[in-house]
Amino acid sequence: MRSAIAIAGPLAAALLMPAAGSAQDGSSAPAAPRSAAAAPSYPPYVRPVSSFVPPRTPDGQPDISGLYLAIPLPRGIETPLVPLPNRAPNRANSEFSFSLNERPKLPDGAIARPVGVDPPDGRIPLTPEALARRKDIISKQEKIEYLDGRVLCLATGVPRSTIPAPVVGYQIFQKPGAVVIFYEQNHLYRTIPLDGRAPLDPNIRKAMGVSRGHWEGNVLVVEVTNFTTNFSNNWVIGAISATPGVPAESLTTGHGIPHSDQYRVTERYTPIDANTIHYEAKIEDPQVFTQPWTIAYYAFARAPKSYVPVEYACFEGNDKNLLLMTNTDISGVRVNVPEE
Amino acid sequence: MKIRITTVGAATGVALLISAMAAAVAHAQRGTTPPRAPAAQAPAAYNGPRTPDRKPDLNGIWQALGTAHWNLEAHSASEGIPAGFSVVEGGAIPYQPWALAKRNENLQKRLTDDPLRKCYMPGVPRATYLPFPFEITQMPNHIGIAYEFAHATRTIFLDGTAHLEDLDFWMGDARGKWDGDTLVVDTVSLGDKTWFDAAGNFHSDALKVVERFSPIDATHIAYEATIDDAKVFTRPWKISMILYRRLEKNLELLDYECAEHVYDKLFKKSGKP
Repeated sequence: MRSAIAIAGPLAAALLMPAAGSAQDGSSAPAAPRSAAAAPSYPPYVRPVSSFVPPRTPDGQPDISGLYLAIPLPRGIETPLVPLPNRAPNRANSEFSFSLNERPKLPDGAIARPVGVDPPDGRIPLTPEALARRKDIISKQEKIEYLDGRVLCLATGVPRSTIPAPVVGYQIFQKPGAVVIFYEQNHLYRTIPLDGRAPLDPNIRKAMGVSRGHWEGNVLVVEVTNFTTNFSNNWVIGAISATPGVPAESLTTGHGIPHSDQYRVTERYTPIDANTIHYEAKIEDPQVFTQPWTIAYYAFARAPKSYVPVEYACFEGNDKNLLLMTNTDISGVRVNVPEE
Repeated sequence: MKIRITTVGAATGVALLISAMAAAVAHAQRGTTPPRAPAAQAPAAYNGPRTPDRKPDLNGIWQALGTAHWNLEAHSASEGIPAGFSVVEGGAIPYQPWALAKRNENLQKRLTDDPLRKCYMPGVPRATYLPFPFEITQMPNHIGIAYEFAHATRTIFLDGTAHLEDLDFWMGDARGKWDGDTLVVDTVSLGDKTWFDAAGNFHSDALKVVERFSPIDATHIAYEATIDDAKVFTRPWKISMILYRRLEKNLELLDYECAEHVYDKLFKKSGKP
């Protein structure tokens, strides 16, 4: 039943349950070519150069508009070069709420490789302080103040909203001077102005950041800044729950990685063919990372005609879920009763 | 009642401020026109900009003015709430007797029972006339509307597809078509949990809304919504108002992340980060 997607709570709860995480090992792996998965190392990441020329919108932009689904990540956020216990070699790191018989595939000739591409060892270059902070956050997951912001139904930010879990539909709109992305997950959206306008005042913060885009040939390049930093729940990345038994410093799925007000993301959306968009995100935050780092993967596959985006009402029905997971009843603060 | 601009209450404070300004602007913009509720405009020929497929170009950021978000019906001012004309055709909403009693009960409990105060998505048509801007992105087969309040969205399908079955969406399932230069949007599956305003005007899950966006010129849209809900009303009824294009240079939607303000309050209460 499609309408079940509107209920975020049970989905989110399932994502945090260790059993749900381990259930995704092995059998749920996509059928994408993964001969490289068994190998101890991968060829260096080479940014894809596509000869595909998309059609043009009436105002001359490369036309990438339409409905898309996330392509399952071939690996976790971290690199398999970092040894992890209890890790099946072909573990798919995404789950789909839209049950397709046929999941989106990598384009022909694409090499399945870890999404962490720079630094080459795939490690997330956290400062010692940030690593300690991350451990602290992960160790307090039973407390609502440290719980995954996505489970709280906070906006997931960038690039996290492009990491395929738990809801995976996207709608890209284009109009003169802007690209607009609707994310099915938590009905998030971004407007990406292309008109070269100035950055926003640093006092203005947005959960999805403030985007400024331009086309470099057929590649949409977006600078994202001005992110909200008000909670310990706004994480840079993160797919499903952390793999059970894996310590925080293993950087498994990206959970618990904070950012500061200097956080900055540079995205590149590269149309590979009529159905596929490759995604790259360079992540910078001198308060948190010792150097910039980059993730890259084939992110968007044009949705089949049978796909219809549906409403993912997240916060509306989340009270019971949060009570179950953190023993916190938010209903009392949810309503603003004016005080005398 | 004291107006407090704190956490979730910020919605109230901001709304008050915006609505007060909006009322002033609306009055100024209407100039010498008698101060009546914005009635549906006579369908004069639209001479504004058009998209490449020759439809009126609605791309941009829009906002309703006036006091419909407080109360669709005529009301005198109360503390912090400006007086307002009815935007309902004929003045009063044609409630069935039991429903009128329910509305009046809602009105008494509005400070705690208004779904907007719980950060629920506002539903349709309420999203249109909240004191927050919204952005239209118009393509031949889909129109996206992004609302600043609680990042609610709608995708209006203009591809001739039918409504889906068995849905219960806060923002409904919207299918649209162009009737000449008027965008007609037919929305169903809206559930029964949203209100039409902060005064307790409500509906059931039988609600069907047909909206008509009739552009007057490049910067004004005559907006109508016909409300059909046989479980609650004695007949279908209609609201109408003007939508104003926001013309400020480099304007963009900002955040009103309603959930954040709930957690702000929660975390503050527990003394945590």
